[in-house]
Amino acid sequence: MAVNYSAKEEADGHPSGGVGVPGGGAVGGSGGAVKTRKPDNTAFKQQRLPAWQPILTAGTVLPAFFIIGLIFIPIGIGIFVTSNNIREYEIDYTGTEPSSPCNKCLNVSWDSTPPCTCTINFTLEHSFESNVFMYYGLSNFYQNHRRYVKSRDDSQLNGDNSSLLNPSKECEPYRTNEDKPIAPCGAIANSMFNDTLELYRIDNETRVLVPLIKKGIAWWTDKNVKFRNPTGDGNNLTALFQGTTKPVNWPKPVYMLDSEPDNNGFINEDFIVWMRTAALPTFRKLYRLIERKNNLQPTLQAGKYSLDITYNYPVHSFDGRKRMILSTISWMGGKNPFLGIAYITVGSICFFLGVVLLIIHHKYGNRNTSADIPN
Amino acid sequence: ISGVAIYTGMETKMALNYQAKSQKRSAVEKSMNVFLIVYLCILISKALINTVLKYVWQSEPFRDEPWYNQKTEPERKRNLFLRAFTDFLAFMVLFNYIIPVSMYVTVEMQKFLGSYFLTWDEEMFDEDTGEGPLVNTSDLNEELGQIEYVFTDKTGTLTENNMEFVECCIEGHVYVPHVICNGQILHDCTGIDMIDSSPGGSGKEREELFFRALCLCHTVQVKDDDSVDGLKKNQLSRRSCIYISSSPDEVALVEGIQRLGYTYLRLKDNFMEILNRENNIEKFELLEVLSFDSVRRRMSVIVKSSAGDIFLFCKGADSSIFPRVKEGKIEQIRSRVERNAVEGLRTLCVAYKKLTAEEYSNAQKLLQNAKLALQDREKKLAEVYEKIERDFILLGATAVEDRLQEKAADTIEALQKAGIKVWVLTGDKMETAAATCYACKLFRRNTQILELTTKKIEEQSLHDVLFDLSKTVLRHSGSLTRDTFSGLSTDMQDYGLIIDGAALSLIMKPRQDGSSGNYRELFLEICRNCSAVLCCRMAPLQKAQIVKLIKLSKEHPITLAIGDGANDVSMILEAHVGIGIIGKEGRQAARNSDYAIPKFKHLKKMLLVHGHFYYVRISELVQYFFYKNVCFIFPQFLYQFFCGFSQQTLYDTAYLTLYNISFTSLPILLYGLMEQHVSADTLKREPSLYRDVAKNALLRWRAFIYWTFLGVFDAVVFFFGAYLLFDNTIVTSNGQMFGNWTFGTLVFTVLVFTVTLKLALDTHYWTWINHFMIWGSLIFYIIFSLLWGGIIWPFLNYQRMYYVFMQMLSSGPAWLGIILLITVSLLPDVLKKVLCRQLWPTATERIQNASRHCREHISEFTPLACLKSPGYRSSDCSNSPARRSNSHSKKTMFTHWKGVDYSVLPSVFGYSNKPCRSSAGYRFSGSGLETSV
Repeated sequence: MAVNYSAKEEADGHPSGGVGVPGGGAVGGSGGAVKTRKPDNTAFKQQRLPAWQPILTAGTVLPAFFIIGLIFIPIGIGIFVTSNNIREYEIDYTGTEPSSPCNKCLNVSWDSTPPCTCTINFTLEHSFESNVFMYYGLSNFYQNHRRYVKSRDDSQLNGDNSSLLNPSKECEPYRTNEDKPIAPCGAIANSMFNDTLELYRIDNETRVLVPLIKKGIAWWTDKNVKFRNPTGDGNNLTALFQGTTKPVNWPKPVYMLDSEPDNNGFINEDFIVWMRTAALPTFRKLYRLIERKNNLQPTLQAGKYSLDITYNYPVHSFDGRKRMILSTISWMGGKNPFLGIAYITVGSICFFLGVVLLIIHHKYGNRNTSADIPN
Repeated sequence: ISGVAIYTGMETKMALNYQAKSQKRSAVEKSMNVFLIVYLCILISKALINTVLKYVWQSEPFRDEPWYNQKTEPERKRNLFLRAFTDFLAFMVLFNYIIPVSMYVTVEMQKFLGSYFLTWDEEMFDEDTGEGPLVNTSDLNEELGQIEYVFTDKTGTLTENNMEFVECCIEGHVYVPHVICNGQILHDCTGIDMIDSSPGGSGKEREELFFRALCLCHTVQVKDDDSVDGLKKNQLSRRSCIYISSSPDEVALVEGIQRLGYTYLRLKDNFMEILNRENNIEKFELLEVLSFDSVRRRMSVIVKSSAGDIFLFCKGADSSIFPRVKEGKIEQIRSRVERNAVEGLRTLCVAYKKLTAEEYSNAQKLLQNAKLALQDREKKLAEVYEKIERDFILLGATAVEDRLQEKAADTIEALQKAGIKVWVLTGDKMETAAATCYACKLFRRNTQILELTTKKIEEQSLHDVLFDLSKTVLRHSGSLTRDTFSGLSTDMQDYGLIIDGAALSLIMKPRQDGSSGNYRELFLEICRNCSAVLCCRMAPLQKAQIVKLIKLSKEHPITLAIGDGANDVSMILEAHVGIGIIGKEGRQAARNSDYAIPKFKHLKKMLLVHGHFYYVRISELVQYFFYKNVCFIFPQFLYQFFCGFSQQTLYDTAYLTLYNISFTSLPILLYGLMEQHVSADTLKREPSLYRDVAKNALLRWRAFIYWTFLGVFDAVVFFFGAYLLFDNTIVTSNGQMFGNWTFGTLVFTVLVFTVTLKLALDTHYWTWINHFMIWGSLIFYIIFSLLWGGIIWPFLNYQRMYYVFMQMLSSGPAWLGIILLITVSLLPDVLKKVLCRQLWPTATERIQNASRHCREHISEFTPLACLKSPGYRSSDCSNSPARRSNSHSKKTMFTHWKGVDYSVLPSVFGYSNKPCRSSAGYRFSGSGLETSV
């Protein structure tokens, strides 16, 4: 007893789907030819593309777990052993404790002349066989603070002459001083680490200076591509930096950082190292290299050493600490017990889980499969 | 007269049955929005926490402004509150990626592109009509996988709406046109099979009257094939014309009568012309048409024969004709009609009465008055009709067959197995509709039929009937709490409810004493326990009412309405998903629907395969998006604790921007389009798998929290893994140090790989496109990073990423760290997956396992066997506490009613169609049984 609408007529005339139907229009060319509306029988359109259909079951995952276990545990052990073979020696020379030789320098300020110096003696129990890397470490120093991180001008550091005289706004409040643009501008450059560390080996009461190499501590690409001195006539850096002023806290301008021309100005490696902002508030930065001289002697023999510090860098005001670190390096970097332990742990867990899964698989697996395939 | 407006405006039937189209939102979208609010809260609280901590931390001036990091003058002068507010906003900006804006874009793309697969489906293309499925909205794709109730129209949906005149019964004699020609006009069939011998005398006269009545009492229009010399041609080849009517029954009748020898030629100048058996043209003047309406369920015409006699012919449903008949072989005809109705034929009774000129003029006057009435015209017309249409002489009855659609039974069976309740809503009479329901297996032989009809209500009060029914239903299902799959177990007693429009309106009608809620509740309770419900004699708006009633019941089930005619439009608009059949009764339904399909049988694939796929795809998509953004942003949050809450970003700007756009977007979009966790054939073969995703199973709070925690866990692994790797150590073999950008890049690399591999682990269907996208986007990430860091980009005012990625890759520990962190962050998810599959597999997983085995050793398997095993569980769906409270509320409701046997209580623990059963659920229903006994 259908209803008496005269809706019937609508059926004629419209070759279907012409009424703004999104799907309809697109099928089969939509030209209105009714016959072509039949969809193509292609594997894609019929969702029948050949496919690999993996399923994660205990059976398939078991080998993976065992394999992960078997690979990770040896790697972990390898890393752990390597890490343990690395020699590392660390001295905190902040001088907060009254007994510390550097205690007198604790409250230095930037412009204290003459600079405060102190000497710390220490003893290396073991000799450092291979090349030794000397780091300075700072704690509680927020190099990753947003205001700090962005306070630099990369085009100025890249040698762009217009940026040199007109540094980016990001450098505020270290952009200009006495109406002269600062080069290098910004908070990072302004707060560059400027303690000087010297290492002496005490050999029969005589202090033998350990030669420190100051090149090769920055990324090659940074030194050769990213950081460039301004260009102009001649190689006289003093002339090239004409019209700029030194950062407020620096004792000397940037073109007097080093005597060697290929380590001076913006391409001074100490400066480049400092400009790479650290990820965490406790960090270390590469300071010097100590190369092994010959194969007969270790780089640093076991024995007494003294560290001469020109203490310029104030950290006490923000509760910071300063350290000097001597470390050897292996293929996997410095001492880092975490990676080895983590590998061993994860490998063991995987292995253990593999065993658990094996048990489960045997206990429950049969029931399931037998339920699935009644033969 | 310059113009006449007939039936316009808001008083037309169409307008009266019209419903405002409301915006439909899918359940997935709703839960997506809820999740979004949760994330918004997380975002705000993160920003608040960080702002507060920032000021706590900064309270010491050496931290706020150490000598090496001075503020500018304007910064220093700024008001504290303003500063705090700016900081809050800065944190919001920093963490805003946790709100996955790109998710909305991806979801829209997934829906739009995904809907093409529906229209492309060859199996859903109908060769006969040349129609394929239409997608009118792609917003509801996934809702197709969530359907709990299907409301289907009968005529044209379950049945073909291809009416075929089967027989007529005149005065107890049965006439059958001897060529069954499927409603088509065949040229050479004039013969009549008379089962009984030809009647004599008055019988003959009645017979002719009957045929004339059928020829005259209709609103069929004739459309000539060739209008120029139509008449001539008609006479020569007799039938080159087409009958057009709004009701296919009428066409079938007129065509049937044509085969019995009487041809309706045309209506010309108010004269109806009939070609009788002797090839003479008889002319009748059409005096009045008392048109059909669904309340009277009959129509009449008053005609004047050439001899001058005035006849009133009436045709209508038996229930509306028999009470008005005063003579005729009522008993014989009634029995025949009932027999036909049981067989699923649509029956009409034909009656007449002869009017004297006086009677006619009276009637005409009354009609005229009523028609011209300005107020209550309809009511007055009805009264007049009532007056005129009585004291009939019964002539006979006709039977028209409406054949079942191809595979209708199969489809309904599959839907029921899938845990979907199928309701048939029809305007037809009860017997006819019930017969169709039996034919299409909605009711089975062992289904106990409960009737809630006007007849029953007349005998008892509605109250009593309802209580009786509920008692039967509930008692029985109470003893069967254990059995949950009505569709699967044949030994279970299931119920079918038949309700008619009048009874329904009684139930829906608000009571004076305000106890209407009870009836509705009770009715819903009965319905819930019936596996199938048939609603007959429904007005179009009543259909929508029923849908609304179910839609708003307390479980808020997802409903689907399917129909083909304009009378189904209101219910199509009302239901969550409306499906139109591109059928005979015009395009009204198809155009108002959300999806249109050519045949009812296509519903099966649409729901069980496409719907299921769409749902699985989009739910993974939504969860994954939240997950990957948590992974992305949570390390940023953690980093704030190590950079003095200064809003320093962990990742470079390019990474922040491109993470959601290029590095991780395409694999998940492709997953959203291509994923097939089970093959389409399996889904079709095993409708019960549909229960695994019912009730929004993959987007429950449990699942959401699992994904969020997984994201947080992974983020913690990324961040602290990198932290421990970098903390105060040297990670290069040349002793040089890495900065904060290397740190962020390491975290980001681990992040991109983990998140992509997590999706790879979830992908069950690896086509070459998936391989291309997943590995491609990882390779793209690497290439992009190499490029991004490989050049001094002249347009950038910072070069912080210069060579960072390369330097990182040149360091051994970074590689080892990346591999380790990826492994660790993927481990718990893999473990969870494997354990759940092994210990508590869902039906889907069982099928997956089985088909795996099947592929390995070639053996037949019957997955049904595994479904019966007791450990059946749906993933993350054991929300037994929720159900418990549900049950309690019902319990209290029950105790209010006196006279209810207390033993019905157990029933509340097991409605027949619970989509998910956990072992906990089992235990609970068991204990419930004990306490009540």
